[in-house]
Amino acid sequence: MMIPALWQISSRQWRAHRLRVLMTTLGIALGVAVFFAVRTANTALLDSLSLTVERLAGKSTLEVTSGETGFPEEVIDTVRATPGVELAEPVIEVIVHSAFADEGNLLILGVDTTGDQQLRQYEFDRSQTEIADPLTYLAQPNSLLLSRAFAERHGLRIGDRLPIFTAHGRKDFIVQGLFQPVGVGAVFGGNVAVMDVYSAQVVFDRGRSFDRIDLMNSRSVPVDELQRRLCARLPAGLETVRPQMRGQALENAVTAMRLGMLITSFIALLVGVYIIFNSFTIAVNQRWKEIGILRSLGVERRNVYAMFLGEALLMGVIGSISGIAGGFYLAAAASKVMGSIAASVYGVISTAVAPRLHPVTVLTSFALGVAASLIGAWFPARAASCLDPILALHNIESRQPESSLGWKRIAPGSALVLVASLLVHFSPSRVGMTLQLSYAAVILLGLTLLLPMLVQGSARLIHPVMDWAGGAEGGLAVDAMVRSPRRSSATVGALMVGLMFVFSTGAYIQSYKHMIGRWTHRMLNSDLVVATSTLLRSTSYHFSEDMGNRISALPEVKSVENVRFTFIPFQGDSAAVIAIEMDGFLARASDAIEGGSSRHVRELLPRGEGVLVSNNFSARWRCRVGGRVRLNAPTGVLDLPILGIVEDYRSDKGSIFMDRALYKKFWKDDAVDFVDVNLKPGEDATLVKRKIERLTSGSEHALVYTNAELRIWIGSLVDQFFLLNYMQLVVAVVVAVVGIVNTLIVSVMERSREFAIVRAVGGYCSQIRKMVLLEAVAISIVGVMVGALAAVFNIQFMSRTVSTVVAGYEVPFYFPWLLVLAALPAVAAVSLLAAWLPALRAMRMSVIEAIGYE
Amino acid sequence: MIQLTGVSKSYGLGKVVQAVSGMNLQIGPAERVAVMGPSGSGKSTLLNLICGLDGPTAGSVKVDGMELSALSDDARTRLRREKIGMIFQTFNLLPTLTALENVAFPLRLQGLAKKDAEPRAASMLVRVGLKDRSSHRPDELSGGERQRVAIARALIFRPLLLLGDEPTGNLDSVSGEEILRLLDGLQHEYASTLLMVTHNSQAAGYCNRIITLHDGRIVKDERFDRAPATGR
Repeated sequence: MMIPALWQISSRQWRAHRLRVLMTTLGIALGVAVFFAVRTANTALLDSLSLTVERLAGKSTLEVTSGETGFPEEVIDTVRATPGVELAEPVIEVIVHSAFADEGNLLILGVDTTGDQQLRQYEFDRSQTEIADPLTYLAQPNSLLLSRAFAERHGLRIGDRLPIFTAHGRKDFIVQGLFQPVGVGAVFGGNVAVMDVYSAQVVFDRGRSFDRIDLMNSRSVPVDELQRRLCARLPAGLETVRPQMRGQALENAVTAMRLGMLITSFIALLVGVYIIFNSFTIAVNQRWKEIGILRSLGVERRNVYAMFLGEALLMGVIGSISGIAGGFYLAAAASKVMGSIAASVYGVISTAVAPRLHPVTVLTSFALGVAASLIGAWFPARAASCLDPILALHNIESRQPESSLGWKRIAPGSALVLVASLLVHFSPSRVGMTLQLSYAAVILLGLTLLLPMLVQGSARLIHPVMDWAGGAEGGLAVDAMVRSPRRSSATVGALMVGLMFVFSTGAYIQSYKHMIGRWTHRMLNSDLVVATSTLLRSTSYHFSEDMGNRISALPEVKSVENVRFTFIPFQGDSAAVIAIEMDGFLARASDAIEGGSSRHVRELLPRGEGVLVSNNFSARWRCRVGGRVRLNAPTGVLDLPILGIVEDYRSDKGSIFMDRALYKKFWKDDAVDFVDVNLKPGEDATLVKRKIERLTSGSEHALVYTNAELRIWIGSLVDQFFLLNYMQLVVAVVVAVVGIVNTLIVSVMERSREFAIVRAVGGYCSQIRKMVLLEAVAISIVGVMVGALAAVFNIQFMSRTVSTVVAGYEVPFYFPWLLVLAALPAVAAVSLLAAWLPALRAMRMSVIEAIGYE
Repeated sequence: MIQLTGVSKSYGLGKVVQAVSGMNLQIGPAERVAVMGPSGSGKSTLLNLICGLDGPTAGSVKVDGMELSALSDDARTRLRREKIGMIFQTFNLLPTLTALENVAFPLRLQGLAKKDAEPRAASMLVRVGLKDRSSHRPDELSGGERQRVAIARALIFRPLLLLGDEPTGNLDSVSGEEILRLLDGLQHEYASTLLMVTHNSQAAGYCNRIITLHDGRIVKDERFDRAPATGR
């Protein structure tokens, strides 16, 4: 019954403070928009992966695979001979670099076209009923069928040549047919071609291996039964799975990116909570007297509480709806970014899928936006309802000093910070991401409770400096903070959140880069690296061992190591395998081995009697030196002891290092992803690089990096990975600036009577301006101090929890002293700018009006 | 209507200030009482105790037969909303509402719809002589007009008890006189009990009982026989 009357008050307040209401609603809208966009883009990416898998799988009900490594072609006979198999077709799937400079990658499916058309949809052009010349197509290993989309982009027709880099260098392929962009033709944005599977074996150096067998069960045998039969008949290294599982595997490959995006979206929401908190704290200060009047007129505490929460609810609803609308458009951009990262960083192919409105995402975003708004308004609303009406009705002079150091705040605040910090330190990574993310929120909540105390303490600390540097006005400005720490808390709080993200993200990135620098120094320390792709690995394009031999023959070269960098199935997930010629590796990188006996490592590793595992593999699978790893290879099971732990960050899944000879023997795979080249003493790496480039030019798609270039390239990859974090920083800085402007304007309004009294007793206008500006500087200094303190907790959270969840390893704690020092003048400058208008307003205030101000 | 028995109120922890000390007071229905005394004598504290905004350190405060200390915060608030009209020296109008909306506000708090509350508020504004100022906000009104709005707001729900805290304290003598006449007439019409804290003997002259406080105690309690709306 009370609410309609109070709505009238609320609506007038909103009208009177449009800018604040707009900024607050925008804060929520921004948080919801980012959350919605990320969730929608995530869903679009998953839809796209699943659509890709669906189109590539066609009607097949089961697939036989062996990770990325492939398996001997004889397996097809075993599969076809298994009762219940209606149809089984071999597949080689290759992503190649075409020689067109402006074109992306091309997916080539090596299939037995005749049988495969029963499995997959190929819609040939109306102009052709079948392949132009079936005999030529099968007889010539350089024949392929091309999607019309790709052909049209490059003006290719039947009979034209398409240049492609293969394991044997650049080769021209002949277009023998075109198919329309439906079914298989629509995958990968139409960048798709089909060729004969046996030709693919030859041109892509697969020996007598296939990547996959797609099969259909006969009607009489259920899929599950057939799966059991195949598992029983096939070697342990081969997996028989439903095609959907491949979608799951693709999803797993991009988990880290999706988690990173999700964390960003939660942070955006958290920032929204803080904007609401900040805005409502201001509103309560602004409406101090109004609350007193309402209470004296008979409005109960709970209805004052309800009034503020009602306002928050409405802002949350409006902000959430606007956020969802904006987020939908943002989702298209986010979807492109995620698709591009998925392709470039994880090598995952997808099919373009436009973001769609998912009711669950809409409802979740709406609910979270409203919840964030209510959570943010909770404390200020409670403070409003608890206001002593007698105190509220009095003028500013008779208000009692704020009791900022009450135990009611300090005790729960300290307890929350302490408990959440302990949880961050001791909680295992497997408790779940949501729970772990909540630790950061709890720490922030604790710090928020402690804010008035921190503001008062920091203000007292800087008092002598402000007194000395700013004269009497400096002292008065800091006095205002000591006297009213809660009012300043709103601004300092906004600064704290913004700067906390800036400092902790900066610290995390610096620490991560330092760690990567140490790793590249210890592990990637050969003079030159010759790679198949910018990621040092490719799922499809590999060198043959001949590449290493050719480089090794150069007079400047002391030694080369051929490296295979691939992924294998491991305990229901996957793990990276780095197969390297161990003698050479141990000669240059034994410093990187952190655990285990070096004698054992040197003896057993080159003989293939053990493996090294990366630090994140060890953490993820809880295995130590002396433990064993059991690997299912296509030719049998390998059960080997772990001889040492090595620092390596190539894969967030963890890596297993083994001797190349052992890998070749068990995986029947002699492909090379990159070649480490060590030069003779005194040789110039840049000159040898040019020589290798000349050697491979036109024949191989080889990227040659000197050690320095490789480090720079890895640095730029790290920057690309942290692109999202840089976006977070922008949001954080915007929040801080909005917070400063908001609270300084209110602070001046609230203190108009105080300023008028200063003027009445002889204070100059310029002194008022100086006081306002110096208070802004004092707030910025305190904000940096408190932000740095909050960052200590957040750095700990990011380097332990976030890093372990996303990447599987911890990043060392690092405090960014230089960044904090650099932030001080920057934040002070922003504060001064933000305070300029309020200062002018304070100067122009009519003394008589302000003193008589009701 | 009001009964105070042995009421004391002190403030502070270290240096205790005794604002009201062992006060006994009884005020009957429709009485017009002025509370006078120097600054710091406990006048405002007495008012706060009676309207339930503050609680006594010792003793009992009863309003309309209800023991205030036995009531919850919500019940005391409801008592204010339904039975006590308050007029302040600084008017305390809601700055964002118009005069009409300010007057209608207590009725809306009691659950009346806007369409029902505002006609009553409009007629109340006519009674206080502000028919043409109903759409103005407080900052567009003079001091006297603001206090008229405050009186209209205090009387709109026909309170049993009308409390005034220096209602003419912020007004010039002419406006003050007008306000007092208005208050006097309306109080008589509504038969509300009036308790008014004032420094102003002119204002006290409109009451038929004057209580003088000093250091938190009643030092004089005088009764007069005056006709309403006549002044001294």
